[in-house]
Amino acid sequence: MNKKKFRFLIVEDDEMIRLIHKDFLGELYPDSEIIEAENGAQGICHYFESHPHIILLDMMMPIMGGEAFLDILEEGHRSKILNKKPKIIVVTAIKDVKELMSIGKRFAVEAVISKPLVQNQLKSLLEDWIS
Amino acid sequence: MNLTHSLNDDLKTAPVFEIEKALNRVHNKKDLLKRVIDIFVKSLSERINAIEKELEQQNWEALGTLAHSIKGSSWTIGAQQLGNIAYAMEKAAGDKNLHLFRELVQLFQSSVQRFLDFEKNLNNLTSESSSIR
Repeated sequence: MNKKKFRFLIVEDDEMIRLIHKDFLGELYPDSEIIEAENGAQGICHYFESHPHIILLDMMMPIMGGEAFLDILEEGHRSKILNKKPKIIVVTAIKDVKELMSIGKRFAVEAVISKPLVQNQLKSLLEDWIS
Repeated sequence: MNLTHSLNDDLKTAPVFEIEKALNRVHNKKDLLKRVIDIFVKSLSERINAIEKELEQQNWEALGTLAHSIKGSSWTIGAQQLGNIAYAMEKAAGDKNLHLFRELVQLFQSSVQRFLDFEKNLNNLTSESSSIR
């Protein structure tokens, strides 16, 4: 993937955490486009509008959480409405190990990172995907 | 289950704010930290109001989501005490334990006040490394 035309989508209800994630991504990939959504419903709209390459997804959000967001994307792939599979990184404050494992096993999820997100952790993960 | 003395002590003795941890989280960008804390402080009163409203209805799902969100943002900026209390609130919401949740809300409000008292002096503190208890 070419880093210059890269699109990220941050789906996170907390404005403060969105700001930090946006700053991290902007510093790592200054020419990329960063789109923000406050919940899963907004995230789905942005997904269909912008087709982001990588999504940072929170799980527990009001209106629509990450679980429902993943359900919709996975259904889109099953029914072949969606062709390209974005790389989804779940960034969550969930501490329950079983819950984290079940999120990690989902088809749409590439990685699960515990909050607080560390920039170097994100960088090493993205470096594997972005040339 | 009530708030035990040991849990109460654990929550109260956790650092109110760990500046080193907070700066580390934002890669030592002081301007970013100030903006982040500004958003966090503004969100606290909204969140307390939301908790009070949802508590009246005993809407445990909403209370759990609110506590979870507070936990995440508090720990992110090194507000350890607020994050620990919010974590206990999240678990109490999961257990639908009204008595414990109410006690934790009181503890949370006093911890918010300690955080706000500290935050007023933040400009001086970003130039040095310290933990406030």
